[in-house]
Amino acid sequence: MMQVPGEFPIIKEDNVTHSFCGLACVGWMYQKIKDSFFLILGTHTCAHFLQNALGMMIFAKPRFGIALIEEGDLAKQEPTLEEIISEIKADHNPSVIFLLSSCTPEVMKVDFKGLSHHLSTPDVPVLFVPASGLVYNFTQAEDSVLHALVPYCPVAPAGQKSVVFLGSVNDATADDLRAEAEELGIPVGGFLPESRFDRMPAIGPDTVLAPVQPYLSRVAVKLNRERGARVLNSLFPFGPDGTRVFWEDLAKEFGIEVDLRDREKAAWEKIRQQTELLSGKKVFLTADTMMELPLARFLKSAGAEVVECSSAYINKKFHSRELEALDGVRVVEQPNFHRQLEDIKRQRPDLIVTSLMTANPFVGHGFIVKWSMEFTLMPIHSWSGVFTLANLFVSPFNRRSRLPAFDGKIWLEGVMPSSEQTNEPQLKN
Amino acid sequence: MRLAFWLYEGTALHGISRITNSMKGVHTVYHAPQGDDYITATYTMLERTPEFPGLSISVVRGRDLAQGVSRLPATLQQVAEHYNPELTVIAPSCSTALLQEDLRQLAMHSGVPEEKLLVYALNPFRVSENEAADGLFTELVRRYAEEREKTAVPSVNILGFTSLGFHLRANLTSLRRMLQTLGIRVNVVAPWGAGTADLRNLPAAWLNIAPYREIGASAAAYLGDRFGMPAVYDAPLGVEATRSWLASIVREINIVAAAKGAPLITMPELRAFSLDGMSAPSGVPWFARTADMESFSGKKAFVFGDATHTVGVVKFLRDELGMQIIGAGTYLHRHADWVREQLQGYLPGELMITDKFQEISAFIEEEIPDLVCGTQMERHSCRKLDVPCMVISPPTHIENHLLGYYPFFGFDGADVMADRVYVSCKLGLEKHLIDFFGDAGLEYEDDSSGLPAAPASSNGHDREHAGTEEASGQPQHTADPDGMSWTDEAENMLKKVPFFVRKKVRKNTETFARQKGEDCITAEVFRQAKESLGG
Repeated sequence: MMQVPGEFPIIKEDNVTHSFCGLACVGWMYQKIKDSFFLILGTHTCAHFLQNALGMMIFAKPRFGIALIEEGDLAKQEPTLEEIISEIKADHNPSVIFLLSSCTPEVMKVDFKGLSHHLSTPDVPVLFVPASGLVYNFTQAEDSVLHALVPYCPVAPAGQKSVVFLGSVNDATADDLRAEAEELGIPVGGFLPESRFDRMPAIGPDTVLAPVQPYLSRVAVKLNRERGARVLNSLFPFGPDGTRVFWEDLAKEFGIEVDLRDREKAAWEKIRQQTELLSGKKVFLTADTMMELPLARFLKSAGAEVVECSSAYINKKFHSRELEALDGVRVVEQPNFHRQLEDIKRQRPDLIVTSLMTANPFVGHGFIVKWSMEFTLMPIHSWSGVFTLANLFVSPFNRRSRLPAFDGKIWLEGVMPSSEQTNEPQLKN
Repeated sequence: MRLAFWLYEGTALHGISRITNSMKGVHTVYHAPQGDDYITATYTMLERTPEFPGLSISVVRGRDLAQGVSRLPATLQQVAEHYNPELTVIAPSCSTALLQEDLRQLAMHSGVPEEKLLVYALNPFRVSENEAADGLFTELVRRYAEEREKTAVPSVNILGFTSLGFHLRANLTSLRRMLQTLGIRVNVVAPWGAGTADLRNLPAAWLNIAPYREIGASAAAYLGDRFGMPAVYDAPLGVEATRSWLASIVREINIVAAAKGAPLITMPELRAFSLDGMSAPSGVPWFARTADMESFSGKKAFVFGDATHTVGVVKFLRDELGMQIIGAGTYLHRHADWVREQLQGYLPGELMITDKFQEISAFIEEEIPDLVCGTQMERHSCRKLDVPCMVISPPTHIENHLLGYYPFFGFDGADVMADRVYVSCKLGLEKHLIDFFGDAGLEYEDDSSGLPAAPASSNGHDREHAGTEEASGQPQHTADPDGMSWTDEAENMLKKVPFFVRKKVRKNTETFARQKGEDCITAEVFRQAKESLGG
């Protein structure tokens, strides 16, 4: 464990964390960019991960697949993907193919840049997306996808001042954000990513990039460096507090002074029942999707006591406003799950926000739990997401209170024989 | 190199943790990059484990490789401290296996006693889930099983029941019930619920039962070689198979009894195996003879799965239900010879051996069988093709981890299988009637809204039959009796809401607008409603 120097202290641990690798982003990115194909150069492990952890079954022709490295391929100098690319083009006719790296070809030192360049044609570019679990966690490879899309964003001329929202959101949320911006008098340049490869937004020196997802620091830096675009440094638009600050700060970038305090107040009022329940509750976020910082900040603003906010990756600059708002909360980067278990047993939080891998066992230990993955799949952005966001935290409490009393000694017997701590001879006849 | 979308078998790493997750006091440490422990989610979600699975990951990061750092010793210390397992199995994943590290040496740096560690490094590019699971289980049996005095009363071990197994709990219950009826004690079930002490005690049983070709059979063979223990390898799938299984068990137990000079056991009346103890143990033999089942003689079935279930189900369908088998196959190359030998005379053509689901799907599309018995993937393929399908084989899915008692093994299992055949095929017949006489209002998806110009009469016939609220739609929103109209823009926004909640959103938005005194839903009203109603 080490303390990272800086204005707001972050504890940095390492090792045992239960979360997914960057390939997880395929789950939503292929649906977002509708004329794309996501090709993973990987192994049986990658295929098994996608089909199991993300619950993916093949209903029609999926727009993602794995170029499977088999034993015979290990000895080859460079993988040959020409045939697979032809197969994809014939079956799917994509406008773009994203070529995702995974751990095995990274260890094999495959030259992905060269490979993707070699496979690209003027009609169908093949874009390299680093995504392996050696470097990237869960949502982080979305950052890599957007990074790869930068050359396909036209250059907006100087003087064309508009906002480009950074991060994939569903179409309904995108409509909301666009309408809200226009309402405030902010010209909207578009979204990175848009739903189609040929419609990526123009970005230039007078573009303001407004990150709406908290895991996209690299593409923001790249666009700032290469295009001179300004990156909005604000809270992320989650909850009444974050949403107000986000829109006020964004308006300020366009020389527009707005006071949204009344609106924020009304939004809090709307979720008063929820915040009354959350007030004073101890909440522990174990780290999973990298949505943790803004979620913890919302909880803190709602009156909850965040006993730990852990996240797989924290960028002190990109997350500075969230960290500032979390002042006084224990913030941990790359937490150690064993240590967290000990702390949780001692602190007995009222709610644990945790991954699919650990949710049910925490419930088995008597805790109330929320799956962190739900926050990446639900419309929780901006004003229209406030209600959904608050309810996601409150519903596990409500549900628990509606169910009858539970005696684990009775109702868990035999559910998981391996965990029953006896070495008595097994069940007799 | 090939393009893959979905695979029947999991990885070697998955096979290893299926064994250790089944066991008490045994932990697996994956020496692997972030995310390679994704499989934990299948244990905690499918089996809904109320305790943390005995599975930790010692994360390997790219920069560690560059710096020559390994967290493995520290992870092993933490695992020892937190879980105190009797044994920790250390396994590399596909990527870290390529690093060719000396994991044994590395593990020794942890200070954890060597006898508590087992490095199980397979070639993950060659070995898959079942072979790895069977191999590790055999290795553990080899490591712990000790010479023991035989139990005084007749007893058996049940081997090969493993976490995420197909209808695992119900099958185990079915076997336990039959053994109880025979008066035979279960000495050890392994790996499911077994600790190392149980493995030590395996040789105390009179007989091993290893019904799964994929996992447990090798351990039974080892126990036979090393301790002279007899084994029954058959799977009691179907009434006939169950009767011969019972007969084998009685015979093998009595050989041991005779050698010991103990009293012999006798086969009870078959009714003793029924749930109430006073009826036929299965309805299948009579069911198969009834007049309405005669139509099954002409029904063509295709079976695809692992080795155990493919063999058992083909025999059951043909020998007990009188169906025609038009083909069968397995995704387990390793067991193909055994399947072929078992199914000699049952198949009109060659056994299909492939791990590419597209090939199976193409065969089904070509043949359009009356019944497909397959895995979850065949269920998906068949759904697209409108072919009746029942799932008879792993890999398991949440629907194979139901709460009720649905065994495949034993007399109870024969009834479950026959019921599923009947329900699957009968629906198929109904479907033909529906196809013949029209859709009978089965199209639920609301696809008419958003097309204000569509005349109501164009699909009025369907709607007349539909009758239900879900199917009735509301296409004439521009001429709503309440006078609520929608602008095209608002309508387009509504279309972006998932179809299954669209009707509800439409209704709520209109209620909201009415309260506000609006008579037209514009984009702005829609947005206000959305904000106010919480999306």
